[in-house]
Amino acid sequence: MDVHVKLFGAFRDCQPEPQVVLALAEGALVADLRAALEAHGRAHWPNFNPALLARSAFASDTSVLRDAQPVPAGVGMAILPPVSGG
Amino acid sequence: MHRHHLTVVEIAEGKLDPAAALEFVSDPGFGGITMFVGRVRDLNHGRDVTGISYDMFVPLALNGFAEIAAKAERDFDGKLKLFIGHAKGRLGIGDLAMVVAAGTPHRDEAFRACRQVVEAVKHTSPIWKQEHYVDGDSVWSEGCSLCEGHDAAAQAHEHDHDHHAAEPGR
Repeated sequence: MDVHVKLFGAFRDCQPEPQVVLALAEGALVADLRAALEAHGRAHWPNFNPALLARSAFASDTSVLRDAQPVPAGVGMAILPPVSGG
Repeated sequence: MHRHHLTVVEIAEGKLDPAAALEFVSDPGFGGITMFVGRVRDLNHGRDVTGISYDMFVPLALNGFAEIAAKAERDFDGKLKLFIGHAKGRLGIGDLAMVVAAGTPHRDEAFRACRQVVEAVKHTSPIWKQEHYVDGDSVWSEGCSLCEGHDAAAQAHEHDHDHHAAEPGR
């Protein structure tokens, strides 16, 4: 399945487009999505920072999802670097 | 009855309104109102700042504001009104980044509720700031990782990193 991942914060500096599309197996976990994004970053983003990805969370529009949870089918995802509001 | 007003204001379309926040949390039964106003300041880590851009995942942020408000509602036995507002986009020096107001029967709950909500928003909301410096450099702030599974209850504690923008006295 294709998973759309919106980019926020420092990840916006990795490419002009605001999201990436990654191909994952059906039933993939968030950990698999993390691995796929890392592979994509290493392959395509000269300024990719793996340490930042390690400290970043994945989320749907409604909640943060942990690595052991499945990637919900048909739902857009987002990568959330450490937050700094206020 | 809407007891909580949760809002994201795109700076190109408007500004946060502290007077509206105070009005919203007012109630005949509430003798205490507190408000936190976070503004963009002109110095960060000793460097002159010209502005801050706030990036935000809006639907998740609003969902989080609702959870933060619901927790405060439980913690204060439902006797409060909250206004939670955050700006989005490129702000200049002095612009308002964040407005949180709490109305409660007495001052103690008002102070505590406002502080609790401010800390929860800062530590859990999907919001990212990028400081713009006089020399043309722009830097994303380090921030709080959401990977550790923090909930709003765990946020009113000290952190080993700096929450530098929109706070006085640093």
